[in-house]
Amino acid sequence: MLTATQETKFDLLRDLGLSEDSNFQALEKLTDTESRYLRDLRVNLKTALAGETLSAKEAYLLALAAAANEENDVLSKAFEEKALDNGADLSEVSEAIACASLLATNNILYRFRHYANKDVYEQLPARVKMNIMLKPVLGREFFELMSLAISAINGCERCITSHENSVLHLGTTEPRIFEAIRVAAVVVGLSKVVR
Amino acid sequence: MYQNRILSVGATFPAFTKQAVVSLEKGKEFTDLTSEDHKINDQWMVMFWWPKDFTFVCPTEIAEFNKNYDEFRDRDAMLIGASTDSEFVHLAWRQNHDDLRGLRFPMLADTSKSLAEELGILEANEKVAYRVTYIVDPQGIIRWVSLNDLSVGRNVAEVLRVLDALQTDELCPCNWKKGEETIAV
Repeated sequence: MLTATQETKFDLLRDLGLSEDSNFQALEKLTDTESRYLRDLRVNLKTALAGETLSAKEAYLLALAAAANEENDVLSKAFEEKALDNGADLSEVSEAIACASLLATNNILYRFRHYANKDVYEQLPARVKMNIMLKPVLGREFFELMSLAISAINGCERCITSHENSVLHLGTTEPRIFEAIRVAAVVVGLSKVVR
Repeated sequence: MYQNRILSVGATFPAFTKQAVVSLEKGKEFTDLTSEDHKINDQWMVMFWWPKDFTFVCPTEIAEFNKNYDEFRDRDAMLIGASTDSEFVHLAWRQNHDDLRGLRFPMLADTSKSLAEELGILEANEKVAYRVTYIVDPQGIIRWVSLNDLSVGRNVAEVLRVLDALQTDELCPCNWKKGEETIAV
């Protein structure tokens, strides 16, 4: 007879398309100690992925970008599969990973300019190519939304302010933005437990 | 004139000890359920009633609750199905119906109708329960009730939505706004 916590663990693994035999240290620890947090975590993941203003494909692509940003291969693979199952194609999947990579760079660069707070760094050229931002296969609105979510994870104030502004100009609503941020936030939390 | 007075929000859910069907395995079919079970585990209780076993609308609805068993479990809620049929009728129905064999929640037998009577959910003519759903908090207080007439099915997603809304989230002090009391958990 499984305990409620063991049931939740297996359901969580199944939600992610992972084998029941998977052995993730932190997940096992939470299960063995009957931690009720596991139930919160699974509800939070399901809620985040079922956002009203995000399609399933968009939610999984955001989750993939967040997992890539966290360098979590297990979750990246899991969310890639889910995105493909929900209508994404390979170029879109790879763009989510590219977005996470580029934004990791940009977040450091612009955070530095902000923190250092000196004119000279504003004037020195960035010398970072960002051509994928011009004509993303995912469309500009979604690429900006994804960039914003990654920036929220990495904590770059200037990036958050400017991407939030630009994504609103592209016609997004604040509830959609917050749902995208929720996906990123929950996936980072999940990444502490499943990796 | 017949007046139905249903026990409602704010009232203490009545104390009960009833037989319930929890398994198809021989010797493990039945167990005692009480109004204390969920409180001991610091859980919520979601109890949904239907009029009669072996009728048509019921299995669809019960299967839908069962499909969402994990959602209730993960919200720390004990899910219980109930009717005024006996535990033996419940068992026979479960053995009999494809959609009911794999049920993961107990089917409570209010054979004496004492609980349904106390809740005020018996239909006047047949003395069977309306399609009532109760959400009871870990302290045993009724926090939500919905009542459908005999032939009207329920929306399980709506029950989960209400449960979510009743269970406070954002307990984190990060959500503290100027002028608010500090959060006491």
